[in-house]
Order: sequence, then C-alpha cells, then structure tokens
Amino acid sequence: MPRIAANDLTFHYQQAGSGPDVVLIHGLTGDLSIWFLCQAMGVLARTHRVTAYDLRGHGYSDTPAANYTSADQATDTLAIMDALGVEKAALVGHSFGGVVAVHAAVLAPERVTALVLSDPSFAALRHLENLNRWEHWQNFRAEAAQAGVELSGEHWYDLTKFFDQVNHLDGDRLLRFRQAVGLPGFKRLLKLAQTTCGDDAKAEAGLTLERFREVEQPVLALFGEYSPFLATADHLTEHMPRCVQRRVPGAKHRAPEENPAAFVALVDDFLMEQRAARALASVR
Amino acid sequence: MTRSTDKDQIMRDVASILESRLGLLSAADLERDTRFFADLGLASIDAVVLGEAVQEHYQRPLPFNLLMADIGARADRDLAIGELVDFIEHHLNTL
Repeated sequence: MPRIAANDLTFHYQQAGSGPDVVLIHGLTGDLSIWFLCQAMGVLARTHRVTAYDLRGHGYSDTPAANYTSADQATDTLAIMDALGVEKAALVGHSFGGVVAVHAAVLAPERVTALVLSDPSFAALRHLENLNRWEHWQNFRAEAAQAGVELSGEHWYDLTKFFDQVNHLDGDRLLRFRQAVGLPGFKRLLKLAQTTCGDDAKAEAGLTLERFREVEQPVLALFGEYSPFLATADHLTEHMPRCVQRRVPGAKHRAPEENPAAFVALVDDFLMEQRAARALASVR
Repeated sequence: MTRSTDKDQIMRDVASILESRLGLLSAADLERDTRFFADLGLASIDAVVLGEAVQEHYQRPLPFNLLMADIGARADRDLAIGELVDFIEHHLNTL
C-alpha cells in the first residue's frame, strides 16, 4: 500500500496514469475507494496522472487527535503534492473535499490549475441553505434512522452531533449501525468521532466569503440535480470569476455514487477542455 | 495442472493475502459464495488494498479498476470471493 509522509503524518495514496496532474479529494467519513468505484481513477488516468489520497483520519491514513479544518487539510493536499513531486494540479473534491480544494487554491493559487467542486457546502455559505426545503431530506433521515442514528433538521450539517451519537450508541442501535456501515467502517468512524473533526469541519477557518472571489482558476461547480446545496452552487457561479455550473442528472448529494457515469463524464470533459485551453494559450 | 486446481490455488492465495494484509483471522474458512462486504465485513477501501496486494503477489497488473467499477454499479455493491477468484484466474491466463 503506497504511503507518503507529509505534514508530519502518513497518508495512504494511489496513483495511476501519466500526463498533467489531477488530485482527487474525497469527502468526510469517506475514503479514496470512491474514485475507484465511480471509475474516475480509470477514466481520468487515460489522459492525466491521477493521485487520490485518504484524508487525515480516514481510510488508511493517520488519525491525529486534532486539526481537521479545511485550512489544515488544504496544507495536507499541498504537502502531499510536494512529497510526490506534483508541482501543480487540477483539484477534484467531493463534498468537504471540495472545500479543501478551494482552500488549497486560495492558499497556493500557483499550484492549482483548475477546480472541480462536487456538491461542497461551505461554512461561510451555510446561511444560504435551508435543508427543510430539500424534499430528499426525509429519505436521508429515514436511512439514518434505520441504521440507528437520529438526525435533526436543525443540526443536519453538524458532524459533531452525529459523532456524539456514534460514540454513545448501545445495544440494538449499536448493532444496527455496525451492520449498516460494516465493521472496519465502524471502527474507522469511531476513531474519527474521537477527534476534533466534527467541530473543525464546521469552522470557516479563514475561508471567508471574500476569498471566493480570489479564485481565478477555471472552476466547475458540479452539483446533483436534487442536491441540497443548489443555493451554494449559484453563489459560487456568481462570485467566482471563472466558474461554470453543471448538474448531474438524478443525483442528490452523492453524485459519484448516485450517477457515476454522468459524474465522471462531466469531470473528464471539463478537464480535457482546460487542458486544450492551456495548450492553446501556450502556443499563442 | 488443471484449471480447477488453478482456482483452488488462487483461492488459497486470496485467503493468505486477506490474512496477512487485512488481518482477517477467519480467512481459512472462505467459500466461493462468501461475500466480501456483507460476510467478511470489509469496506471498499479494503478492496483497493486487496487489489494492490494481489497484483504484487502475481507480479503483474490486473484490471482491478474495472472490477471496482463493476462493484460500484451493483445494487448490493458486493463481491463474492468466487467472482474475485474467477476474475484473477481469467486475467492471469489471458493477459
């Protein structure tokens, strides 16, 4: 299993293909396997060198007790790029991975050639969203309840509350939850629930509203057709100078799982367009 | 060596990799219809690591990307050990 030391931690990563660099950043409570399951790894590696890694506290990477903000994790992305000799890359982030990607672009604009933001939700934009308007929320809630976890409308974005419940599951609920997520997944989630990840992920950590305007790279805001965060999508499109918005048909918040073929095709098309535009610019 | 012996050997190899790489203590009891996620309790990230270890073991690249994408497209998102053995055997013999 390839691992790399970066930012005083050890990260599990996977790499495939050759060409301009693309870095894939998964969401909270996930891991890099999502990029294999949706086939992004295979498809993008035909034309790019693709690097996917497990976020701190996730998959087979180290789990420190603290420092899980998007700022902390953006420095992870940049440190991993340094360690692997990736000078600059297009960053593709899903959910919180998208927040990390934007934060990296703000911290080190010269290292980021383009951004694909798949259904991110930002602390600075949380006031725009009202989950109660989202018709799929009830389904989500029912799925979670079946797995033994109660989600309230008020705290829907609050991973701390979720982790709190995971830490205090007992008896029947513990069993149902373990069955729903599998034993290794459960163990990893327990480990993560004991870190500051829940609180840290809610923090703006310096990624304020003003900073969105600084993102001058080409950005693809890629949201599920039924995403709970469509107000965020519109805000990004209006406030980032070079942002285009696309919707993944039929998808809610998890497009790479819910419509992998369309998701990967949209990402691939965008990256190929950017590549062609850069080639053209270098000829001129 | 017959084809079925090959598959038996691959089954033993897979069991040994599951033990040494993923710490699965009951790997000796694997059956062809044992499911990777539902029965062994493994997660998809473990499948990525297993794929890598299998390729290392046989010292050749196998198209695990395709197998992972296939699992991702399934309703139950699971894989029987027998299917994994068939996949390995097929590609070891045709590539």
